[in-house]
Amino acid sequence: MHPTSLMMTSSLIIIFVILTYPVLTTLSPRPQDPHWALSHVKTAVKLAFFVSLLPLFLFLNEGLETIITNWNWMNTATFDINISLKFDHYSVIFTPIALYVTWSILEFASWYMHADPDMNRFFKYLLIFLITMIILVTANNMFQLFIGWEGVGIMSFLLIGWWHGRADANTAALQAVLYNRIGDIGLIFFMAWVAMNLNSWEMQQMFAVAKDMDLTYPLLGLIIAATGKSAQFGLHPWLPSAMEGPTPVSALLHSSTMVVAGIFLLIRMSPLMENNQTALTTCLCLGALTTLFTATCALTQNDIKKIVAFSTSSQLGLMMVTIGLNQPQLAFLHICTHAFFKAMLFLCSGSIIHSLNDEQDIRKMGGMHRLTPFTSSCLTIGSLALTGTPFLAGFFSKDAIIEALNTSYLNAWALALTLLATSFTAVYSLRVIYFVSMGHPRFNPLSPINENNPTVINPIKRLAWGSIIAGLLITSNIIPIKTPIMSMPAVLKLAALTVTILGLLLALELATLTNKQFKPTPTLTPHHFSNMLGFFPTIIHRLTPKLNLFLGQAIASQTIDQTWLEKSGPKALTNLNLPMITTTSNIQQGLIKTYLSLFLLTLTLALLISY
Amino acid sequence: MASAYLTHQQKVLRLYKKSLRHLESWCIFRDKYRFYACMLRARFDENKNEKDMVKATMLLKAGEEEFWTNQHPQPYIFPDSPGGTSYERYECYKVPEWVLEHWHPSEKAMYPDYFAKREQWKKLRMQSWDKEVAQLEAETPPGGPRTEALPPARKEGDLPPLWWQFVTRPRERPT
Repeated sequence: MHPTSLMMTSSLIIIFVILTYPVLTTLSPRPQDPHWALSHVKTAVKLAFFVSLLPLFLFLNEGLETIITNWNWMNTATFDINISLKFDHYSVIFTPIALYVTWSILEFASWYMHADPDMNRFFKYLLIFLITMIILVTANNMFQLFIGWEGVGIMSFLLIGWWHGRADANTAALQAVLYNRIGDIGLIFFMAWVAMNLNSWEMQQMFAVAKDMDLTYPLLGLIIAATGKSAQFGLHPWLPSAMEGPTPVSALLHSSTMVVAGIFLLIRMSPLMENNQTALTTCLCLGALTTLFTATCALTQNDIKKIVAFSTSSQLGLMMVTIGLNQPQLAFLHICTHAFFKAMLFLCSGSIIHSLNDEQDIRKMGGMHRLTPFTSSCLTIGSLALTGTPFLAGFFSKDAIIEALNTSYLNAWALALTLLATSFTAVYSLRVIYFVSMGHPRFNPLSPINENNPTVINPIKRLAWGSIIAGLLITSNIIPIKTPIMSMPAVLKLAALTVTILGLLLALELATLTNKQFKPTPTLTPHHFSNMLGFFPTIIHRLTPKLNLFLGQAIASQTIDQTWLEKSGPKALTNLNLPMITTTSNIQQGLIKTYLSLFLLTLTLALLISY
Repeated sequence: MASAYLTHQQKVLRLYKKSLRHLESWCIFRDKYRFYACMLRARFDENKNEKDMVKATMLLKAGEEEFWTNQHPQPYIFPDSPGGTSYERYECYKVPEWVLEHWHPSEKAMYPDYFAKREQWKKLRMQSWDKEVAQLEAETPPGGPRTEALPPARKEGDLPPLWWQFVTRPRERPT
């Protein structure tokens, strides 16, 4: 076998072995080493990251992509299900990034969760999550992807409800599961349709056979799946509620890896979506709506984690818009760059929260730039990368997306929404920095705040490097599959930058106004719309259970009790017979005249009938 | 002795405190908050010497309505308060005291002094239980208890009722 492909396949298998080994050590009956989390899990992920760089460089150097079919699992005459790993452009680049981000987050978690008695179990859950995420990303058939899909959903549930003594955490975990389940309906529908019509769940066969078929229904199923998993509008409330989990969970699952699984699915299935204009338009409009709606909600939130969660949701909407523009590679680029700066934003906020004794409200932070200069600087770098500041990581993906949107002859409404959301991104990013880093502290100086722990600083430093150079590195080394449009009017080219700067200026003006505070409360209606998340959870979370309960009551009392008892059963008999009975008993008046006339009547009738 | 009904003074003070808290949620910077808090205090002080209870109740009602329209949808809640971000977070680590009964003898042997003393405490609990129950039965009103507050020990040498649950409660912050 050629040494290059041998190196590729063996290093990829080694990654799986390295990651699964720590989980297997937990099955042994020996009492676990208290430092197992650091010594086994973090080392495994770090090692797996360095090993995964080899396939990455092989891919960058030689364009080598691999499909490894390990095991014929369930094979019938007409349908095959195998364990098959696909290491193409997308998974070869995503795996090192996911491992790098996870390594940083695990190191941070060893500080954040050090007082937790179950830290080993926490790390085990994070590792199982990582394994299922890599299974999802490297799947070559829908069945394996579904295993990974469900796996990340289950681990999300367990990790959001980590502090299960808290009622809100349990509600949030259940919410995540339910919303993801609704998305799963779409995915299962897609899988069923494909199994029936394309006769295989292997991606190569799917793409080959589906060339001239009308794929609208299965693609809509896929879009529903992505809506559930990637928190698009309609199935989005679980993502801000998922902030109940510890900050490492929010950083890993709900910003970099799990929520991009829906978008990743659409990217994988992009050969099916290329020619279906309905699916592409749905993605475009849904993404535009999501990005604007969640950016609006982020404008007035006061919990720092919720702001970053809505920011994630907004960027996911942007990725959906990119898919709608038929640019899967650009969406993938945004997934990669987004992972770095979003994870860093979460880690910085986690560091600040821990320093302030679990204070998450930005109204009670302030002046962190003097107290934790490194953390607040990295918060600023992350926010700049998020808004698409030229030449940081986010610029390469976000600006390219907006350029593609501007130069395509598609929906102008989607374009307007996306540009507005881009300006809102600048507004809420400035809001976070203004209330957290600038000004004077608004909290009590209860404990000394310092940054002298390398377990916190090194991960943030690593992710900061990633946020700065990842965009440049990836775009310099990857050959684009679709030709980007190189020439466009200067207005279109600078649109994203202009809109961001306008948003920034607006935010600075608003900050000055907040500082002066001419009246105690702002204009209430728009503020309430944004703060209460568009009233979406308020309505849906009360309306659906109410309708269900009323339906249940109607079925139980009316359909069952009323129908069988009153309309067709005993009471119906009663209602039929009662008038006749009352008439008959009313006739028995006790008067001889009545009896004689009845007798004569009956006699006449009998005589008439007999003759 | 507190009853189920609030006095007018209590209602006014509650309105004042919650409006100050919501004002704090709206006015993020302390100097601006202090300014508007002083304005609010002046508004309350204007009517504080009102003798006509009907008018006072109407003012209170108007105040409550104004509060309702101007309240903050996400008021600032301290992290450990109900509704806060770390409320009940450590409930899952709070283990009840009877778990100590189920420790293996080898584990109990690691803390001989503690478990020896614990046996004495358990004996004390058995002895005082009947007196606690008797006191509670005597002092509970016929319609059932009115509050959750437990009465103190009345006689010399007695222990307060249900003291064991209080003494062996888990720590507020187990980790």
